[in-house]
Amino acid sequence: MATVSLELTEIQATLLRSRPAPYYGTHVMLRIDDARGGRELLHRLVPHVDSAADWWLHDNAWTAVTLSYAGLVALGTPEATLRSFPTAFREGMAARAEHLFDFGPNEPKNWEAPFGSGQIHVALSVFSGDQTKWRLASETAWTQFRELQGVTLLMSQDFGAQPGDLNSFGYKDGIGQPAIEGSGVEPLPGQGRPIKAGEFILGYPGESGVPLVMPQPDILGRNGTYVALRKYQSRVGAFNRFLRENGNTPEERELLAAKLVGRWRSGAPLTLAPERDDPALAADPRRNNDFDYAKDPHGYQVPFGAHMRRMNPRDTELAQLTDVNLHRIVRRGTTYGAPYDPDAVSEGDDEIPRGVYFIAMSAKAMDTMEFLQKEWINKGDFMNLRERDPQIGLQDKDSVFTIPQHPVRRRIHGIETFNVLRGGEYLFMPSLSALRWLANLGS
Amino acid sequence: MQTQQETQSKPTVLPQKEVDTMMQDLRELYKDAPDYIKRALEELRGGISEIPDTLMETAGRIGARQGVVSELTVIAPFAKGGAERLRKLLALTHGNFSATEKVGSVHDMRFVFLENDTKMLFATAYDGDWDDYLDDFVSKIPNELDVIFWNFEGWPGIHSPSIKDYIAQFQVAAEAWYVSNPRLSVPQAKRLEKIDKALNEFLDKIS
Repeated sequence: MATVSLELTEIQATLLRSRPAPYYGTHVMLRIDDARGGRELLHRLVPHVDSAADWWLHDNAWTAVTLSYAGLVALGTPEATLRSFPTAFREGMAARAEHLFDFGPNEPKNWEAPFGSGQIHVALSVFSGDQTKWRLASETAWTQFRELQGVTLLMSQDFGAQPGDLNSFGYKDGIGQPAIEGSGVEPLPGQGRPIKAGEFILGYPGESGVPLVMPQPDILGRNGTYVALRKYQSRVGAFNRFLRENGNTPEERELLAAKLVGRWRSGAPLTLAPERDDPALAADPRRNNDFDYAKDPHGYQVPFGAHMRRMNPRDTELAQLTDVNLHRIVRRGTTYGAPYDPDAVSEGDDEIPRGVYFIAMSAKAMDTMEFLQKEWINKGDFMNLRERDPQIGLQDKDSVFTIPQHPVRRRIHGIETFNVLRGGEYLFMPSLSALRWLANLGS
Repeated sequence: MQTQQETQSKPTVLPQKEVDTMMQDLRELYKDAPDYIKRALEELRGGISEIPDTLMETAGRIGARQGVVSELTVIAPFAKGGAERLRKLLALTHGNFSATEKVGSVHDMRFVFLENDTKMLFATAYDGDWDDYLDDFVSKIPNELDVIFWNFEGWPGIHSPSIKDYIAQFQVAAEAWYVSNPRLSVPQAKRLEKIDKALNEFLDKIS
């Protein structure tokens, strides 16, 4: 057991608890119609919001509450406090489209309601490793707002409960998270040195040695974090067509699927299982992330363009001066909708509701998300490539994906946008004390 | 969609009517000019009618971009003795800081001392948005940046949370920005150079 130096009883559980396996959950979006109703909602919810205390045990369901800037305004938060939030958060994700490279099909005007409307004020999430506990926790949460005056339910979306816990493309995801210093658990092999807590939680020193600027007063900012929520529709038909067009046998298609991500669908990394899948390796958390790219400088195992290598280059020599530890995020992918269907190949299949509510958390989630979207996802210069992330990149006409091989690389043309953005929001995840502070505004 | 096209396309030609209107506006602006200037203005008509396929857009908070290449222009007041120190530092390093090469996104840098060494004009062409990578620079080359920037008035130190604002306050927006290879980032240009060399060596061998 490593030392705990974080105030775990203050920090919301989602930041530190890993997603259970299997997992079940619900996202609920609410609008605050009058400040009193909004504060009453927080009053009622706070006792049911879980902290990260003993997060490594995580045998229970938990509930998390976050607020958008519009939500803070609707609560009647004082002007000086509102002004102390960072610009990108105040503008909101839809208004930041240009900074997030959310163009064309990903443009906010193509989003699904209620996203982009400015009406999402409170986002509430229930996570659970157990179906019964999930239903109980959801019911408890619903009881707090169901008949509450001044608060309107905008949408509710169940997630998880996927066969084999796989995402909409049939992959095991969520492997390899940053280790946070002071959180109380030794890093897993390959997780890298623990990163300073201030990168992920407000009020603690970050990598540069000082805490990041946080919203004021201190009680509101400290132990809070920011969330970038992005809802993707997975175009499973397009993905399967791509695999079929570029792989002649089931084995070739599986290898191509692995090259796109850097891991086999089981989660086994290509670095450790370059030739064939290794489910035992995939299932072992002490081994499935224990690698770097020292022995793969040419990308023969994990292509430079593979999603996993782009999003965490580890020791890859980059073309631009970069401190990779400054661009890490805590991810909680929450898969929704129909399970992956290997036989789906039509354009109609692209629109069957399924995909991910992707949750990225850090003390500077807006900066990090915008950096990742612009530099690592939709550009390739840092990896000396002229291509975009094969999973979440916004592809152009005749976009390519390169698989380094000896003597001649294989360049696959016609990769499409496999995940289309359908909504998103920047949210603030306050500490438990901060939630109480907000609930008591005006009293 | 403002994505970067990979291939050069032909410039678009504006309809004659639009060119006529533009010419009218220009004639109005130059109505007090002598005849030879007015005649020169008429000769520009051909150039005006063509619009290139990448146009100037904004980069970061202030500044312009064309394609992937952005400009940053800063006019900052020197601290006491700063001009002299920086001039010597630049001379000793031939204006070539080892760190710049590592950065990998800077095309060029220009240091011009203005108004009796009281201010400096710094102009650079670089890839992307400068503030995106600033934290990386602070983490990786803090000493290089401190040694340069300490020569300017009010430098808060590289680890100050206000350095983005510090730089932005001295930034001057360019009215116009032209880039001949708007799709060539620094890594891409280096790659092409390598490929060109390898290709020619290969052709030499087989010819």
